[in-house]
Amino acid sequence: MRIFWPVLAAILVATAVIALIVSKKFRVRYLWRILDLIVGGIFIYAGVIKALDPVQFANDIDNYKTLPWFISVRLAFYLPWLEIVCGLTLIFRFLYRGGLSILTALILIFVGATIAAKARGLDITCGCFGHASKNWNFTSHLLLDLLILAAALVLFSRVGRTKKS
Amino acid sequence: MKLRAVREGLLLIALACLPAIGEAIYFRDKISWQSPIPASELVTVDQARAWGDSATWADARPDEEFARDHVPGAFPLNEDRWNELLPQFLSHWLPEKKVVVYCSAESCNAARDVAKRLRDEAQLKDVFVLQGGWEEWVKKTR
Repeated sequence: MRIFWPVLAAILVATAVIALIVSKKFRVRYLWRILDLIVGGIFIYAGVIKALDPVQFANDIDNYKTLPWFISVRLAFYLPWLEIVCGLTLIFRFLYRGGLSILTALILIFVGATIAAKARGLDITCGCFGHASKNWNFTSHLLLDLLILAAALVLFSRVGRTKKS
Repeated sequence: MKLRAVREGLLLIALACLPAIGEAIYFRDKISWQSPIPASELVTVDQARAWGDSATWADARPDEEFARDHVPGAFPLNEDRWNELLPQFLSHWLPEKKVVVYCSAESCNAARDVAKRLRDEAQLKDVFVLQGGWEEWVKKTR
């Protein structure tokens, strides 16, 4: 796993550079693109981490005690790839609106599930970033979720203002 | 715009199915699809009681619940004090004995997690999770 972080960072940086270069109006959209890349990158990272260990992610979903196991285990295989695919849409601006809509819906579900788990007194790990988030407390992981949600909503507001994405 | 977002979203939802199905096929024998604990790792109260002295019991519930009551002869082994309790547990463990881990009820995950750590970290082999947990034990024995 030691090699994983530098490789992932290199992939993200390379993707970011390529995406910036291929975008014709990258100077105008520079700041928006950075936000796209950050949000997309976070979801790709979160998806990859979970796709590498679907068994652990199935247990993390099961810990929320809201879904039966046979659904949790199927979601554990599906959600990481949905995050990766939608994260890529933000980075490459292809099927952008669909990707951003799904990611916003996902983050809303995560925020809701986190708050509901806390309200029910469940002391659980969110599983959002696999083992990397194992020791996060409720506040820090809710804060990160809300930050991502805010960023996604900002991107949404921009989509509404532009004719073409 | 909304229609376009919905259309794109549906396409992405379908697109994500492909690698997910591929990964699920790859993992098909490495994961339990119907229950969080594979049937081979579960033991009923009756089976575990029949093992008698050839089983060592581990109580994965919090300390206060263990102090209130527990399976006779069980050792506390919860994740809150894992580093402290594991050596104590292992000092009583014998290689020829099976380990039965339990938590409060069918719905708790502590026993599953402790059993996994016993297999992964302590390299124990015959580790089982008690079906129905402490709740089932009380029902069957009292």
